[in-house]
Amino acid sequence: MPLVDRELAEVICHRPAGPVTVGRLLGEARALAARLPATGHPINLCADRYRMLLGFVAALMRGHPTLLNADASPHRLRALAEAYLGTYLLADKPVASDMPLVLVEDGAAEEWTGPVPMLPARQLAAIAFTSGSTGQPTAHLKPWDALVAAALAAAERFALRPGDGPASSVLATVPPQHMYGFETTIMLPLQAALACHAGEAFFPSDVLDALDGLPERRLLVTTPLHLRALLAERRRPAPLAAVISATAPLAMSMAEAVERDWGAPMLEIYGASEAGSMASRRTALEPDWLPYSGIRMGQSEVHVPGLGVVPLADAVEPAPGGRFRLLGRRADLVKLGGRRASLAELNRVLAEVAGVEDGVFVAPEDIERNPAARLSAYVVAPGRSAEEILAALRLRLEPVFLPRPLVLVPALPRNGLGKLTRAALDGLRLAMAAP
Amino acid sequence: MPDGTMTPTFTAPGLTAQELEVARLIVSALSLEVAPEAIEPEAPLFNEGLGLDSIDALEMALAVSKAYDVKLRSDDERNHRIFASLRSLTAHIEKHRTR
Repeated sequence: MPLVDRELAEVICHRPAGPVTVGRLLGEARALAARLPATGHPINLCADRYRMLLGFVAALMRGHPTLLNADASPHRLRALAEAYLGTYLLADKPVASDMPLVLVEDGAAEEWTGPVPMLPARQLAAIAFTSGSTGQPTAHLKPWDALVAAALAAAERFALRPGDGPASSVLATVPPQHMYGFETTIMLPLQAALACHAGEAFFPSDVLDALDGLPERRLLVTTPLHLRALLAERRRPAPLAAVISATAPLAMSMAEAVERDWGAPMLEIYGASEAGSMASRRTALEPDWLPYSGIRMGQSEVHVPGLGVVPLADAVEPAPGGRFRLLGRRADLVKLGGRRASLAELNRVLAEVAGVEDGVFVAPEDIERNPAARLSAYVVAPGRSAEEILAALRLRLEPVFLPRPLVLVPALPRNGLGKLTRAALDGLRLAMAAP
Repeated sequence: MPDGTMTPTFTAPGLTAQELEVARLIVSALSLEVAPEAIEPEAPLFNEGLGLDSIDALEMALAVSKAYDVKLRSDDERNHRIFASLRSLTAHIEKHRTR
């Protein structure tokens, strides 16, 4: 299967210095590939999307599966090094680590000419990870044919195939190491008529300025959290062919605001790191999700081309027209900032903190609606301070899952069976909130 | 430098009036469990210190934009200095504020 299903002269990325063609990317990737170790697993930490793409393509050329991980903390890198043979870092700036590092830099390289490289369909191209809430994330293997199938299905859905009109450019507020960002800004440009914006765009002003600098048709790939901040700017972005959101349910009010104030279709993708993108909908007009080509939804699992049967974190029911409706997340799972964790696992981590006798994490009622929602925790830990417990948790949990607030209580309102009911927890919350 | 234990203290550790105002804004925008007066002006806002993360960074950008019409950006290295501490953030706001 071709590594890039595009003409060499087509633009694949927009950098501050100017557009980069497929031929240039392949030429630079060939030069970078020659600098990689003989075998191994790269951890591609590049924040610049072009360099992320360059590192990924170079690793593909050498048959190295890229570990999709943006967390450069020493304990995370150490855990990956222990789990995979020959891990090395691909980064665009120095990293405080003793792991082998290959700096991804701009170099003068000869442009690629002739046929594009071919990859075996079953080559393991990338490994994605879900939830580090317990320190040991679960790995999800991504063979090349599965990634390509997903990219082609997305290209069909969003009219990004070569015959669908002028080439598009995509700006994303999600990191390229997150499965959603990886699919939309690394895989799509390799397989569809789309060029990604290379720079980091995080704050609303960055995003709006960067959009101004991109050619039409512009796509914005983002999240409810970012959309909320962008809409609050009250500055109309450059004309957008579509806005795409994922990682958390999008409030209807925001979907309507984008359609009305920005004059752009507001699309949502339903996806998960395990399965990749599975379906989409136009939120303001369609309550139900339309699966991508090749995706077959079950009630608690999904069949994905190239991956087989993958369990789902959400309950699903069939809807008219081949669509499906999401019935909500399984009770124990929480999702914050695009990261998923199990409350039971979080509670287990809390219970292991020295001095903690009892404790429970609580998700707020608005967690599915409020993009800035936080967990809280009630903890029984005589003699320990909330700061001490937080400091211990910080070593074990991803920052988004740190409780805010962490409330010390003399005891938890457990019932005769030792269980904590929702009503009892609500009572506790009200009692603590009272003056 | 903070030692990570951060004993809450209500004696202002030398915050200027502007720093206190920005501290109040941050605490209220992010629903932090800390008294604005207790934020150490030179302590890091992210990771260690106050322990803020990227969700907070967006919330903070929103609050600062609303209150002072100052747009935070991440396009250059400057950004790391602006967010280094309450003191550096306040200095940035004071320099660029239009209201």
